[in-house]
Amino acid sequence: MSAQADTHAGNDSHHDDHHHDAHQQSFISKYVFSTDHKWIGIQYGITALLFLAFGFYLMMVMRWSIAFPHQPLPEWMSWIFTESWKARWLQDGKVTGETYNMFGAMHGTIMVFLGIVPLGFGAFGNYVTPLQIGAVDMAFPRLNMASYWIYLVGGLIMCGSFFMESGAAKSGWTNYSPLAGFADGQVVNQWLAGQTQWLIGLVCLITSSLLGSVNFITTIINLRARGMTWMRMPFLVWSMLVTAFLLLLAFPPLEAAGIMQLMDRVGHSSFFMPSGLFTKTEGLADLSGGGSPLLFQHLFWFLGHPEVYVLLLPAFACVSEIIPANTRKPLWGYKSMVYSVLVLGFLSFVVWAHHMYMTGMGAAVSTFFQTTTVLISIPSVVIITSMLISLWGGSIRFTPPMLWACAFIPMFGIGGLTGLPLAFNLADLHLHDTYYVIGHFHYVVAPGILFGFFGGILHWYPKITGRYMSRKLNHLHFWPTLICMNLIFFPMLVQGMAGFHRRWYNGGDAYMAKAQDSVNVFGNTVAQHIDMNILMSTGAWGMAAFQIFFIVNLFGSYFFGKKANSDNPWNATTLEWATPTPPGHGNFLFEPVVYRGPYEYSRPDCEEDFLPQWIEPKRNAPAVAPAESEKPLVKH
Amino acid sequence: MEIPYIVTPRKDTGLFNSKIAIWLFLASEVMLFGGFFSAYVFLRLGADYPWPERTLPVLPGLINTFVLIGSSVTVVFAWAALKMRQWRKFQLFMGITVFCALVFMVLKGIEYNVKFHHQAVRLQDFTVMEGHLGYEKEGEQYVLDHNGKKIEENLIYIEANKLTFSTVRYYKPWVEELLSQAEHKKTKILLLEDITAVTEEGKEKIVLAKAGEPLTTGLLDRIQKAHLAARSHNSAYRTAALRSEWKSAHKNFPDKKDWQLASTVAIDDVALAPKLLTEVSAVAFKVDPPTSLDFKPRDIKEAADQSRLRDDTVVDGKLLDSPMVFHHVDAIDFQHLAMRAVKKGVDPIAAIEDSWLLKNSPFAKEAWEWHQKEVATLEAKLLKEYGVGKDGKAKREPTLKERYRLGWKDLGKKAEDQGQAKLTGRQYLTEEFLGPNYDARGAETFPEFSLPREQVSFAAKFTPAWNTYYALYFTMTGLHGLHVIGGALVLSYYLFFGKKMYLENPEWLANRVEIGGLFWHFVDLVWIFVFPIMYLM
Repeated sequence: MSAQADTHAGNDSHHDDHHHDAHQQSFISKYVFSTDHKWIGIQYGITALLFLAFGFYLMMVMRWSIAFPHQPLPEWMSWIFTESWKARWLQDGKVTGETYNMFGAMHGTIMVFLGIVPLGFGAFGNYVTPLQIGAVDMAFPRLNMASYWIYLVGGLIMCGSFFMESGAAKSGWTNYSPLAGFADGQVVNQWLAGQTQWLIGLVCLITSSLLGSVNFITTIINLRARGMTWMRMPFLVWSMLVTAFLLLLAFPPLEAAGIMQLMDRVGHSSFFMPSGLFTKTEGLADLSGGGSPLLFQHLFWFLGHPEVYVLLLPAFACVSEIIPANTRKPLWGYKSMVYSVLVLGFLSFVVWAHHMYMTGMGAAVSTFFQTTTVLISIPSVVIITSMLISLWGGSIRFTPPMLWACAFIPMFGIGGLTGLPLAFNLADLHLHDTYYVIGHFHYVVAPGILFGFFGGILHWYPKITGRYMSRKLNHLHFWPTLICMNLIFFPMLVQGMAGFHRRWYNGGDAYMAKAQDSVNVFGNTVAQHIDMNILMSTGAWGMAAFQIFFIVNLFGSYFFGKKANSDNPWNATTLEWATPTPPGHGNFLFEPVVYRGPYEYSRPDCEEDFLPQWIEPKRNAPAVAPAESEKPLVKH
Repeated sequence: MEIPYIVTPRKDTGLFNSKIAIWLFLASEVMLFGGFFSAYVFLRLGADYPWPERTLPVLPGLINTFVLIGSSVTVVFAWAALKMRQWRKFQLFMGITVFCALVFMVLKGIEYNVKFHHQAVRLQDFTVMEGHLGYEKEGEQYVLDHNGKKIEENLIYIEANKLTFSTVRYYKPWVEELLSQAEHKKTKILLLEDITAVTEEGKEKIVLAKAGEPLTTGLLDRIQKAHLAARSHNSAYRTAALRSEWKSAHKNFPDKKDWQLASTVAIDDVALAPKLLTEVSAVAFKVDPPTSLDFKPRDIKEAADQSRLRDDTVVDGKLLDSPMVFHHVDAIDFQHLAMRAVKKGVDPIAAIEDSWLLKNSPFAKEAWEWHQKEVATLEAKLLKEYGVGKDGKAKREPTLKERYRLGWKDLGKKAEDQGQAKLTGRQYLTEEFLGPNYDARGAETFPEFSLPREQVSFAAKFTPAWNTYYALYFTMTGLHGLHVIGGALVLSYYLFFGKKMYLENPEWLANRVEIGGLFWHFVDLVWIFVFPIMYLM
């Protein structure tokens, strides 16, 4: 980005204390192996968006199989494949069950591990957190760079397996053993099986997030600017801090599980393989047995549930920055939000087995996890309610980011509330593994979290590029996306309650022959709801079409967008807006000192309706002494 | 731009950056090893087989424990020396630390190596035998295979007369292995019949390969290429055909749903046939003359007349006698059998006496009878020492392991009792590290035994495959070993390349050594947990 370089040259002419290294940097060290947290954030963001697009594409193919299981995949979706790939994985052009499973497993994996987490934590976290706490960079810039590259390598390893003879992983994103232990068992060299590559990719991703989270926590603890006390940190920073702790502590047990599953696959061990395992293809397994499939589920969900909050908290973070800036009033209940997010982080470690009610782990265990699960809804509701009340009485500016933030609240609300029946193990007996579950968590992730991120992109775009994203294109993107999201996911809740199973690759078509039989109750239920599949799939493809406006807006605005005429175009209060636009290497032109809380909007004692954190209080005003005064961060 | 608090701590937090980072990293490591320790508890509590208790040699593990603890002390001395700016002293203590890591890994290596050569087998009736497999011998000479390697007597032999390879799935190294066996055994693998195929649309069939052509990977490659091309070509045509069928079906029956039409919509195979190419999905070869080929047990699903390799190669031919031959049996274990008998409500002793092994091996029978006496002696001893409880039963009884397992030390004792082979003190000591000394104890203690293949239910070396205990043992100690290596590399970097940094900024180097030392303590701590659960419990 040349604009960035220009501003930076400007920095140096004003202040020599910002080192001269920027001038000596080659193209590669500046744009490829960059150690600047902002550029790494952008790298993360773009990569994650590409992965998201790919994951979306996989889903479109699956939706075809669900809606039209008897018809060949249309050309507009299948052109991406080579003829030989189609011959291997499609049957007369139709999506097979095996291919559907592969796409399903990789859709989940890509969206969660390669899309949302890197976008929320990697991109927003990296770009915004150090700016908001007034740091020059992350505490360990080179680790930060390594974190990005290991993530990319892990992602490519996972997705590269699509092109191998075995295909990519196909045992669901949860990768349950013993299914995942056997998948691709016919491949002689197990290291070349998609299922094994998934595990290797996963280990890379865990390493990447370990480096990232250590870096974030250290940065937030040690590199806060003078006067930036804990309770003056913007909510985004708190969210990132909790997210980092979740990644730090929840991922390693999955790494342990991954290593054990790898041993099962390549070392023929039986960590997760029970005794006397018999399969149709392999017969009696040539394994010692004695292992426990349940162990894998426990270790997986020990990550799996905190992971949900790893996805969610950065979206909370974005929305809670957008809302005060656009309602011109402080974030309502900032402190209770902070405490809630801490409680949320803690509780998220003790709810995991609510994913496993159906495994027969016993009533006492189920009751415990049911209780904790219901408990965790309290902090979530506190946060979302605080956001909602923050809107009350504000003079809301419906700027493009604010549109997304406003849609986030009800959409995430639906996602969250539909989760409650799943928390109760009695209701879960009926709803487990149905489309209701899919509808529930997609409402959380897609119209919830992703909307938060779209808002975040629009909010910080003027800081990153110096230009606004187009308001018109955003309308063309926002409204159809909002409608399509609901078209896709609301019918899922209905279908799910009717008993549609989430892994039917033909969308229930197999039951239709039975449906003619009037005594076949289930067949008749399926028959009543199966036509929704076409509506939902059409919604999905429609939504894909409208994302084009976002892509055009994202890249087009960089060249043609309206110029932001100020370093603080939204008149916001947090420290990132004190930097030049775009911020150069080292971020600040002056040593930032923080005098007040993060959301000082519409103070009656001020002329303007916002009072940024870095503005020195007037002489006659009561001085706000920084509680943790110490030496300045940057030597002058 | 300069990142603050790299060398000096921040005042309010009292920490420099990397110290926060290492504690966070260690927290993450605790969770990683915590995952394994939970797995240990979970798998041990849920084990449906007798968990191998105290099965590893304790002595090397114990030495390793002290070695690691010692190195944790010296790494602190090294750090203190740096703080006092005493470079030579730092070098000395850091040198000792790294040397300790080396000792640890060497002992670990010996321990692993013994296991990789030790065979275990579970019989159909759940009797377990352990020992060393033999290598094929003719007289005093080892028989070497076509690769010049000794042949372990644990192979599946098939009098093969026909091999059928899957065109897409055949595994090249295995084909090469078969070819090399054939050459060694002076037989030929020849194409069974002509392979003809339409390779261009609308043309006549051509001969891809003639009957009698010898098997080469090149030939298989050629057929694979033609097959894949045909598959792609046909798939494109079939897709287009199906698409147009659906188009007309929708046109003819606009008010019908897909699932109602599905049974009537089909590709017109006859009309399409002239456009399609021939797919050759399998190629058959004859083995001329039929010869005994051998396969590794894990690669093949053997059956009387037709066996199948894991890459879908079908081997036609009679399954020959393929026993698993132990040159030294060093343990006979009825624990699993007894455990299952109790579960079924059968008297375990009766079940053991009814086992295949006792009926077919005089040695095993004799050893079992000897062992019964030992157990009786032990029972009497326990009764005498601990007395009888309120319920009228002995307070202490022999454990499952003591009752039903004859380990190598038991077999050794039996032989010594009977006046056979005695060892020197030094030999006893090396046995603590390297396992039983077969040469010194001889065949009287550890006899040879040939186990028919149909009695083998599951067999493995003492690797992660053998059971979940060994899987955990190797995974946990392996991962711990990687930490030892990693930590030692970092520490030796400071030792050998730290001088420059020491001269420029000694405090920074001290910080780094402190970080490395914290990690080293963690590695030590993990071992202090791993050692008891793996070696002592």
